[in-house]
Amino acid sequence: MTNQPAVGKIKTEESRLLVFLQYFLPISFTIAMAGIIIWIISLIWLSRKLHDTPSASVGISIVAIPVFGILLWVFWYVFLGIIRNRPEDEEGA
Amino acid sequence: MKSDPESADIEAPLLDPIVKTTKDFYVTVAILMAFIAWGAWAYLYQFRHGLGVTGLNQPVSWGFYVTNFVFFIGISHAGTLISAILRICKAEWRRPITRMAEVITVMVLAIGAGNILVDLGRPDRLLNVFWYGRYQSPLLWDATSISAYFTASTVYLWLPLIPDIAILRDKVTRWHWFYRFLAIGWQGTPKQKRALNRGITVMSIIVIPIAVSVHTVVSFVFSMTLQPMWHSTIFGPYFVVGAIFSGIAALIIAMLIIRRIYRLEHYLKPVHFHHLGTLLLVMTLVWTYFTFAEYLTGFYGSEPEEMKVFWAKFNGPYAPYFWSMVLCNFVIPIALLSYRQTAIIARTLGASISICVGMWLERFIIVVPTLANPRLPYGAGSYIPTWVEWGETAGCFALFILFYVLFTKVFPIISIWEIREGREGLEEMNARARDYLPDGMISEDLTAARRSAALRKGTAL
Repeated sequence: MTNQPAVGKIKTEESRLLVFLQYFLPISFTIAMAGIIIWIISLIWLSRKLHDTPSASVGISIVAIPVFGILLWVFWYVFLGIIRNRPEDEEGA
Repeated sequence: MKSDPESADIEAPLLDPIVKTTKDFYVTVAILMAFIAWGAWAYLYQFRHGLGVTGLNQPVSWGFYVTNFVFFIGISHAGTLISAILRICKAEWRRPITRMAEVITVMVLAIGAGNILVDLGRPDRLLNVFWYGRYQSPLLWDATSISAYFTASTVYLWLPLIPDIAILRDKVTRWHWFYRFLAIGWQGTPKQKRALNRGITVMSIIVIPIAVSVHTVVSFVFSMTLQPMWHSTIFGPYFVVGAIFSGIAALIIAMLIIRRIYRLEHYLKPVHFHHLGTLLLVMTLVWTYFTFAEYLTGFYGSEPEEMKVFWAKFNGPYAPYFWSMVLCNFVIPIALLSYRQTAIIARTLGASISICVGMWLERFIIVVPTLANPRLPYGAGSYIPTWVEWGETAGCFALFILFYVLFTKVFPIISIWEIREGREGLEEMNARARDYLPDGMISEDLTAARRSAALRKGTAL
């Protein structure tokens, strides 16, 4: 019985560490999506610099960037929806 | 989602591949590793000696690698279109199939894109796409759309996997921390379910136009050129139809192998093969219609450069491949799938294998004959693949199968929570079925209607 508070504290610290690590999932995903969006924008900039029909780049980016944005939004929405609404005792059964 | 001792018994076969490892698994991995080693050796040989060790030449600068690229990207439509469309349509029979289809998509996209890396010769040239890409080129449209599709498919695979990862976290002792990490605290609370279901619904909707755009853009790599028999407006939808066609066939083969190896006959029933076989039959006819329209248009126009390629396919050096394609994609599937009252699984498997072979041949027939008979005044060329290309092709297929096998060892290949949801949602299904029928068609409704009519008239029922 005297060990229970120590065990409970370890479990809480372990859970906090786990949640901290779990946030790396959406953060890594955000970095990847941001990288792709920055790449697309850089191609538009390059085509304007070279006077290389920038309209094609702009046209495609109008479709492509929102798609990646939506994927990012879905990822974060589901991740936060799950992690913020979990019960206190994560282990459950 | 409830779990009781009875459902634990029923679901045990779904967890068996993860908790138990048989000798067959190690033998399978060893065989696949041997083929992968052959492919890796072939690639290293090519890397050291250059693309000259392949059959690629001028004018045939695209061969096996581009064929494999288009083939694998085509198969990726299995996941999206089977899983996403059936989910949106609330087709209940999709439940044991969706995970298998989604895994196929993610795996083959990576391998398909890898074939382009191999085709480059010098892999560092890939960096030019990032530093100096031009959106005027369909190749860059390809890079963008495949990136979007790969990302979307990965998210679409992971979201429905979360509840199953939580089940593994709670039931399986091996890799507990790994499952606990990926489960992100899933406990199936109402708010968590709402967030997940909304995410899955959005992904189901968005992944369909992305998938259609991917294979349309892959076709643009060919149709935006002026090469004979490539410069065709029908290529976009033709490629999409071919992709769905080969995707369904690949999925059926995967289902049958998984069913046999992991003894999942109670989950993958003849009715699933019947429905997929029907889809396959429909796609056979649609593909044949597109192929007929494509070749008839070229033949009727009789442009000299187009006719060189046309006759090369019909009765020239590529005739054996062309007519084998017709046999595999039309004759055999129609013969096997038109009558499915007996041996439904065997017939569906036979048709699927035939279609996978036929669709690979179709990609080959599109890529190589046109390059061998170019529009510009080069001499006609030829293409004979070397052991390097055969090795890398074998390595690609083996790598795909290995990834798939490893996935089944780590995650459930049939969605446990969706099966539970289906079992617990029978009332909801019943209510939905009633909605589809005209009022008064259900016998209980008729009985109730007659009873209330009798009461009004004061007569007996």
